[in-house]
Amino acid sequence: MSSTASQRALDYLEQLPGTTFTKLYQQPSTALAIFRRMLPHLAKTLVMAMLYMPKPFAVADVDVWIKPDAEGLQARDRALSILQRLRILFDTRDEKDGRPAYKLSDGFARSLRMALTGGGNHRSFGVPSNAPDKQPVSGSYLDAFARQQWEAILYYVVGSAHAGLGGSTDAISAGTKQLLQKGEFVSVRGREAHITQRGFTFLLQEINAQIWTLLIVYLEVSGALHMDPVDVLSFLFTLGSLELGISYSTTNLTPTQQQMLDDLSDFGLVYRRSNDEARYYPTRLATTLTSDAPALPNTSLTSTTSTTTLASSSTDPSASANEKGYIILETNYRLYAYTSSPLPITILSLFATLKTRYPNLITAKLTKSSIQSAIASGITSDQIITYLTTHAHPILRRQNPVLPPTVVDQIRLWQIEGERMTAWKGFLIRDVGTAEEYDKAVQYADALGVLRKEFRGKGWFFVSRMDQMSVYFRAQAAKKKEAMARREG
Amino acid sequence: MNAIDATDRAVAEQDIEPPSLLTIIIDTNPHAWALLDDTLPLTKAVASLLVFINAHLAINYTNQVAVIASHSERAEWLYPTDVHPDNVQSNGALANGRDYEDLMDRGGPVQPPDDANKYRPFAQLEHTLMYNLRKMMNTTTTDAINSSPATMLAGALTRALAYISKQTASLPTATSSTQFNYSDPSAMAGGNELTTDPTKSANALGLSSRILIVSVSGDLADRYIEIMNCIFACQRMSVPIDVLKLAGDPVFLQQAADTTGGIYMSLSTSTARAGLLQYLMFAYLMDQTARNHLIAPGEGEGVDFRAACFCHKRVVDIGFVCSICLSIFCEPLPDGTCLLCGSHLSMTNYGRKPVVVPKKKVKKKKRPTESGTDTPASGAGTPMPG
Repeated sequence: MSSTASQRALDYLEQLPGTTFTKLYQQPSTALAIFRRMLPHLAKTLVMAMLYMPKPFAVADVDVWIKPDAEGLQARDRALSILQRLRILFDTRDEKDGRPAYKLSDGFARSLRMALTGGGNHRSFGVPSNAPDKQPVSGSYLDAFARQQWEAILYYVVGSAHAGLGGSTDAISAGTKQLLQKGEFVSVRGREAHITQRGFTFLLQEINAQIWTLLIVYLEVSGALHMDPVDVLSFLFTLGSLELGISYSTTNLTPTQQQMLDDLSDFGLVYRRSNDEARYYPTRLATTLTSDAPALPNTSLTSTTSTTTLASSSTDPSASANEKGYIILETNYRLYAYTSSPLPITILSLFATLKTRYPNLITAKLTKSSIQSAIASGITSDQIITYLTTHAHPILRRQNPVLPPTVVDQIRLWQIEGERMTAWKGFLIRDVGTAEEYDKAVQYADALGVLRKEFRGKGWFFVSRMDQMSVYFRAQAAKKKEAMARREG
Repeated sequence: MNAIDATDRAVAEQDIEPPSLLTIIIDTNPHAWALLDDTLPLTKAVASLLVFINAHLAINYTNQVAVIASHSERAEWLYPTDVHPDNVQSNGALANGRDYEDLMDRGGPVQPPDDANKYRPFAQLEHTLMYNLRKMMNTTTTDAINSSPATMLAGALTRALAYISKQTASLPTATSSTQFNYSDPSAMAGGNELTTDPTKSANALGLSSRILIVSVSGDLADRYIEIMNCIFACQRMSVPIDVLKLAGDPVFLQQAADTTGGIYMSLSTSTARAGLLQYLMFAYLMDQTARNHLIAPGEGEGVDFRAACFCHKRVVDIGFVCSICLSIFCEPLPDGTCLLCGSHLSMTNYGRKPVVVPKKKVKKKKRPTESGTDTPASGAGTPMPG
């Protein structure tokens, strides 16, 4: 599920300083990409409603607009919190009557408006190459290229778990290997790479999330290499708005971005014939960066907005089982996987006992020992379940829940047998005040979804995230003060 | 151990929003737009609509849009068009030299100019839409305008519905995830599910659709039956019809929005029309997912539920309904035969003055004080004592 990916991207963005955001939001493509990719649905609707609003949007009006049931309130708090964390929304006061109100960040609003209407001279949606290519590159070729590059990386990671099973380690560049080490997906001991727990997490994600995970590591590393994170980020977001099958010119890229092109073609995000050619083709891995669409699909979903130009590019018969969903899991813990490619087989062998292999089918069984050995090597039950869900065969997908509940529960139980403790990073809040205030605060934390545990007897509670809560307490304190002042005055 | 129970599974549901298909029907009736010309010309309205469409596409990568023009004598696709614009140019443009020039004026042939300042899907959509709109306007003859003052809303609605069901059927029946799109034939079952199980909304399927009608002309009574059938089809497919009324009387469209759970607003003043874009962005942009959390505007207005008769297309307050096929007539049928289903209807009593049955004379009561027992009155006066 790609929300883990956007969550990671969100966490990364959040810790950027405000000035970086200001710079980022100067690019309409970035504003559009962040709007599309990072925001929850209600937040998008809110932003769009406020985009052409001449005045700030009064808080009271927002509250009236949103349905006052628990679900609506929770969605509202979540939307507002993310908007504020991304520096899109600000608290302000109405100029006339001084009521509290929300206001969009000027830079963001300007850029988003420009993205919707066009115009300006920012050239952030990619400059197409003027001269037609002598040998145009087809979409299917790009898909094949992207798959080859990306699978090479996965092979490297998974191969380090089973030496001898994976592909050759020479397939990926030294830079990528370093990156994988920096991101702690593999750790090199002696001459051999060993997969780590993060590596397992990485492997079991779906492709789009994998790309983001790797790119965020790339972003962190690039900061250390004195590459401007704004340049890097806005280029990534630009890539997300490019179109498959069209070549773009490298001429007006910044030096940082030129440098990035080399790395990105190692990942399979862009294709260049040679490293000094003045054109590049984004692959599907790149064009779906800012979407929830599958990264290497054979779908009609992606063709909706580009029907007029690329009618046939999206049908790729060779799209491997990897993206299509190929696993059938039965209630008796038997597992059938329609695949002949070694990569998914290797991944399956991490947590299942392989039984038989046919030309297009693998049978396996989930056993206590197979699951617990996976858990011992650092894979969590949730990762296994997510992997099975993401790659479930269409037949499984017809039912809800997708996987047989007995098996899912059993996998969890097998994990819990070994561990009796969960650790959360977070903040303990105590001395809240009166019982009423305590109740209110706990309720608010619960609505935000940050409440982890409540110790009602002691008047404590534990939250995983503090920033929203501190804003809340400040507001409460201000209210109290005001009330006090009124009483005295 | 508490972590393992049914609730845990429910939490694992993905919060990914389903793709949404927005079908816009623009009423391009030239008569009505001519009346609006000084407050809101068509070009301005279309410009606002384009921003609105882009906003819709921006919300989700998988969102789709379709635009249909309901012109005076025909309904025309504006986007997406089946024919590749290039093909249109090779024969259509030659036949119509002005058309070609118009496009050249805009700085390019049918393919949108490569503009690094605009997101390509937006540019393409805008280009195709404007091209088709121009083409339609240029091919509209004076005769056609003169012959029909109304708009082909029923045709446009039908096309929209056909398109929606086609798109719904082509999407997989993924219950929890929309990201996987497998092209196996069983996925087509999604289309049938609609007809077999009307209670299941389109939300359960991949695609959630809605229709927005931007209406300027009143007087839709001509096509009452067709429009109402479309409305009921929408209701059945749980496709809300949103209506933005810029001019004209609202009779049926208000019903359409009410029946299907859509949003109805009427921008009748010129100041309201000036804020068209803000109205669109605020009220009409929310799709079904957002509507779960937001209170839709325009609710609670009085809805005009009147119907039009099937015989003369008059809007009636009181009509006559065939008991077999439920068709509505504004006056009693001359020979007692339903015009639609041919059933013989007897209206024995209608139209006749109610016969005044002379009331049986109630016998005059005696004054109660007179005697405890009621004696039948006789014609002759009771002899009085004394």
